[in-house]
Amino acid sequence: MLDFTDKLKPQYDGAATLQAERNASTINVDELAKHLLSRDGFLERQERILRVLEKEKIFKKDHQMNLSRPERYHLGLARAKAVQRIMRKYSWTTSEDYKMFEYLVDEVSPYHLHLTMFATTVREQGSEAQKKYWMPKILNYDIIGCYAQSELGHGSNVRGLETVAKWDPQRKEFEIHSPYLTASKWWNGSLGRTATHAIVVAQLLLPKKGKENEYESHGPQPFIVQIRDQKTHQPFEGIVVGDIGPKYGYASMDNGYMLFDHYRVPKSAMLSRYVEVSEETCTLNRHGHPAVVYGSLTFVRGQIIMHARLILARAVTVAVRYCSIRRQFRDRDSRSDQDDEMKVLDYPTVQIRILPLLATAFALHYTGEMMYSMYIKSREAIENDDFGPLAELHSASSGLKSLCTMLTADGIETCRRAMGGHGFGGGSGLIGMNADYLSKPTVEGDNWMITQQVAAYLIKKMTSAVADPTAPPKDPTDELFQFYLKNRGHHIPQNVAHGTETDDCAIVCVFKWRTADLSYRAYQARVIDKKPWTKLMIQLHSLSRAYSEQILVTTFHNSFRTSTSTLSSPTPEVLRTCFRLYALHTLETSASSFILTNSVSSESIYALQDAILALMTELRPHAVKLVDAWSIPDFLLASALGRSDGKVYEELYDMAHRRNPLNRITFNPDWRSEEIVLGSGDGGRHVLSKL
Amino acid sequence: MAPTPDWVKQLKPSAPHGSGLLAAERAKSNLPVGRLSELLFTKEVLNRKQRVLDVLKSEKVFDKSQNYFAGRIDRFGTALARAKKLRNLRLKHGWDLEDFRTANELVSEPGPYALHDSMFLVTIKEQGTPEQHDLFLKKAEKHGIIGCYAQTELGHGSNVRGLETTATWNPEDKTFTMHSPYLTASKWWIGSLGKTANYAVVMAQLIIDGKSYGPHPFVMQIRDLKTHEPLENIHVGDIGPKFGYNTMDNGFLLFKNVKIPHIGMLARFSRVDPKSNKYVRRGSPFLVYGTLTWIRSTIVMQAGGVLARGVTIATRYSAIRRQFQDRDAREWEGGENQVLNYTMVQIRLLPLLAATFALHFTGKSMMNLYQENQKKMNAGIANADSSKRGAGPEETESGSDLLADLHATSCGLKALSSTIAAEGLEVCRRACGGHGYSSFSGIGPWYADYLPTTTWEGDNYMLTQQVARYLLKSARSVLNNNAPTNDTTRILKDFRSRADIGCAFDILGSDCDLVSAFAWRVSFLTFEVLKHRDEQKKAWNDLLVDFYRLSKAHSQFMVVKNFHSALSENSTREKLDDDTLQIMHKLFRLFALHTLEQEGSEFFASGACTVKQISLARTNAVMKLLQDIRPHAVGLVDAWAFDDWVLDSSLGRKDGKVYEDMFYRASELNPLNWITVDPYPDSEVLFRRDERSKL
Repeated sequence: MLDFTDKLKPQYDGAATLQAERNASTINVDELAKHLLSRDGFLERQERILRVLEKEKIFKKDHQMNLSRPERYHLGLARAKAVQRIMRKYSWTTSEDYKMFEYLVDEVSPYHLHLTMFATTVREQGSEAQKKYWMPKILNYDIIGCYAQSELGHGSNVRGLETVAKWDPQRKEFEIHSPYLTASKWWNGSLGRTATHAIVVAQLLLPKKGKENEYESHGPQPFIVQIRDQKTHQPFEGIVVGDIGPKYGYASMDNGYMLFDHYRVPKSAMLSRYVEVSEETCTLNRHGHPAVVYGSLTFVRGQIIMHARLILARAVTVAVRYCSIRRQFRDRDSRSDQDDEMKVLDYPTVQIRILPLLATAFALHYTGEMMYSMYIKSREAIENDDFGPLAELHSASSGLKSLCTMLTADGIETCRRAMGGHGFGGGSGLIGMNADYLSKPTVEGDNWMITQQVAAYLIKKMTSAVADPTAPPKDPTDELFQFYLKNRGHHIPQNVAHGTETDDCAIVCVFKWRTADLSYRAYQARVIDKKPWTKLMIQLHSLSRAYSEQILVTTFHNSFRTSTSTLSSPTPEVLRTCFRLYALHTLETSASSFILTNSVSSESIYALQDAILALMTELRPHAVKLVDAWSIPDFLLASALGRSDGKVYEELYDMAHRRNPLNRITFNPDWRSEEIVLGSGDGGRHVLSKL
Repeated sequence: MAPTPDWVKQLKPSAPHGSGLLAAERAKSNLPVGRLSELLFTKEVLNRKQRVLDVLKSEKVFDKSQNYFAGRIDRFGTALARAKKLRNLRLKHGWDLEDFRTANELVSEPGPYALHDSMFLVTIKEQGTPEQHDLFLKKAEKHGIIGCYAQTELGHGSNVRGLETTATWNPEDKTFTMHSPYLTASKWWIGSLGKTANYAVVMAQLIIDGKSYGPHPFVMQIRDLKTHEPLENIHVGDIGPKFGYNTMDNGFLLFKNVKIPHIGMLARFSRVDPKSNKYVRRGSPFLVYGTLTWIRSTIVMQAGGVLARGVTIATRYSAIRRQFQDRDAREWEGGENQVLNYTMVQIRLLPLLAATFALHFTGKSMMNLYQENQKKMNAGIANADSSKRGAGPEETESGSDLLADLHATSCGLKALSSTIAAEGLEVCRRACGGHGYSSFSGIGPWYADYLPTTTWEGDNYMLTQQVARYLLKSARSVLNNNAPTNDTTRILKDFRSRADIGCAFDILGSDCDLVSAFAWRVSFLTFEVLKHRDEQKKAWNDLLVDFYRLSKAHSQFMVVKNFHSALSENSTREKLDDDTLQIMHKLFRLFALHTLEQEGSEFFASGACTVKQISLARTNAVMKLLQDIRPHAVGLVDAWAFDDWVLDSSLGRKDGKVYEDMFYRASELNPLNWITVDPYPDSEVLFRRDERSKL
């Protein structure tokens, strides 16, 4: 369809603007990209898989925002199948390949739970015989599985689950049953429409000794259960299963519900690597302890942080590029009417929202890397049950996961809003990402709940440090607490900024001191004053946050001694600016916490604002190149505003005008007529029939 | 899908049930919920709501059960059907404007006639001449033509002066040529334009004889009244799906040299004289600023109600949801704790609960002030020549001091209150844990529709400059001893008078001192920023972050002050008993102290209070307030009087049947469950059976 608008150009040329931004910084983008993204051949793999995906029409995102929920699932399933076929065709079947497909398709697949929680649980908790029976079927997709743990009435607290699996000593079977509506399995991914099998976590009920008609619970155990017929895909009698309906995001995923009516499964259904019901005595036999999932949990959380940094980097990429193209208002101090309007990225009010987030992506990177390497280094030791240095990292990982996913979820939204009106539009590319990512702060442990683990750990550490302040320190936290206890009587708050100069070592020190002081206060409240745990939760949450921020700051700072020092100029200096900006911005955001803990001097607090402004001015010319280094392909960005070539307005218009199905319909706006689509003559019946 | 079997229908949630828990919550608080509702809304308004609601519920087109499932096009089609029905109902039931507004508010989704009913009519009314009223307004009021208001463009939002669309005067045939010289000149985001409107008010740069006279409003037809196709050389359409607002057809619009008659330019304040071809200004659009101020005041008041929806849902659900046993509970005290008993949940929800009241009272008092002032203004509009005037009315001539004060205040408050509401809704959603992520929580979709409020009527960050500029100007006048008397100059003068002796506010012991501490902080920041600008000559742009902080501080002061004075007024004290008044005061203190604690470093830096006080506020005072307010939380949200039909939320149901409703919606209303798939990757078949038509 040709029309007069085809020849129109934007007033300011976005492509030229971005080019000028790139010319203004001498950062070597390729080198920095390799520095950030070489682990496990990430960049090479991204390139290889991208080339294939870009060719397949089904992965185009043009229309998906217009679709209804059933249509989104339809598309999601089609894409999931297509990915499997491509993987087989090219024999790209490693788990790294699969993860890259997920990352680039950028939509949670209806098969997601099959290869993750379903396969992992069978592998880790199944007996040798069970693994031999199930694993080939799983890997070949002869069955499709999911993991059904949380319930309508219960999320994180596994011990509160209501679904029961009762042992029948006569028939040597289990009877799975949902005694209440709240026992319904709920939120379980891939369960709603896709899965044929499920791992069902249920309270194991065994007869009480000597009282055959009374049963008692032996805690939640996993059962592998076929739930749908393999031919008709209908659920079996005694099982009610379905999709739980639309959500904030995750439209392509069929999160499901499931209820059982005295449903019988054979004895072999219970995954029995560690536990087994004895047919003779009706008791539970344990074979050793489940290898503490310690290490792998730390690994998973490390991965969540590595993923978080890429998501945050993507949001920042869009915001930085668009804000360096978007112009609004002439400089108020400008004398000439002829001056161009300013790029909004030159406004400090825009910088203060975006540039600290740009710095945060790097802060997350170094901590994610650190967790990864620690895990790999100590993997051997873990297999011998020696957790050594990982013990501390494990406790830290829950707090870090909480902080990093929250920073990312909030960061996406901050970037979206910093882009003004267009950030709200489908062309921003941040709408779906925001909606999908927002599930993260609650999955795998609600962010507010899991931080209690960290606090409990720190209180324990402080208690032993107080008991014996001269014991040989086992880890950095011991060292810190001992230092704190020795000096707390005569500590002087430190200066982190003088004028616009910053003191990096002092920055690290104040983050450490704040952690130690908050730990000591928590110890005092809980151990000495015996305050109720529930009353301390807010305080403990802040403690966890302070501790995690301290790790991010320290790890970032450590990177200057090692990994970043080999990069060519000006990259190391720019990264140092990122470090300072992240640290000072964090400090400023929680200024009262630093003051109340006596960590930082009040002069520094006054100096902070100017110091932050100066750092942003330093960073500003490198912003576009820094986001380029994260190497997010346009295909993945799916954003008119964030396009690497800067053709923002051309793309926005094209999406609205040429790729918008609503514009293929003419409506009847006259209120006197009940007709909705002009010329359809249906008097609005179509609309009513859909309600 | 097979119908739900009996054994499922008979299942109950495990005890204790939501209905019982909410009943217990209501029983343990003696709060007079009905009287509190009347204080918030008045009896008349509550009755009106009920009357209109009864009508809406009886019409099938307003059935909400498929809202959360439908795609963009169906959602828009339904919204159009609803808009038409509302217009019909208005005639049928003889609804007045307030009834009609109430109906729209209750339907709670942006409809395709929204911009016609608001900005299109208002602009013609305020900026049109009597002749133009005859020509356009009469038809428009009867929906004979459907209009919209086309200001923002693809490349330009808030900065009206940067608009690229041109309206060039043609002396030979006395017409204007409307034209879009660039792609970025495309009108963009314009509500009701995409598919619905056949008329538009278009803001365009007026050009006479090669000279630009800045942006002016033009009324013009854009679509054929019969075929509804765009007129020649006009290109118009919908801009596509968005984060929220998908029931609205936000549109784009481009012109290729389209001629419109002389009468098209709205000419109450300025016109082109067809004889001399000269630009003539008559009077100044003072009232336009008045309208903006009014709109912003309503945004402030609405923010309270918008947030209250999220707080209602989250509070009720948190009183029902149980998770983990109390860590200190003894072995035999079985059962899990209601999460609302966790301080960690309280600290997220209860300050927001306090904020709903704070914003409501602030908005209300702003609107009262505005109306008083409007009376004065109408008594004698200053007709000063303002052609050389700068952007904001704070530089206007005498006679408009109060309006200037109100205008500046409304900018800052609009920014603060819509940010509190938007961010608060997201906090509420997350506080609901996993189920908050479901559309059935009712918070997510509501949040998505509310978000644009933070950018329109002035981007929240941009607006703060206007506040700062006004405060700086007031501070200069105080230093020069020629300050007008108003609230702003009063606090600045107080601050100056104590500059050498300091202050000692008893923020934890006295409510008045608490308010004064907020005033002190604003004054401190104002003079600091003034030093940067006037003495150190810092660039305007380098001060934007300071301006933002300053505006935020000022608006927080305004909210705290207004909440406090609303509670001190006789009219309030007469309506509430002592116990209830006590609780309202606690909400005031919670809002103020929580804010103070969040902004601790500024209060400390300004000397308004000590570190010790902040520390005590955090560990003692706020915790005590949470504990005191907790028993009344459910009663307090009940006072907001949301009907279940309006909330459309499983988690926020008034009767507490959370789980029953979640299950019902998932299993009975969910079209996806009428589809049977082929799950195996080797098969290209996706849907093996599709029985959605049975739904």
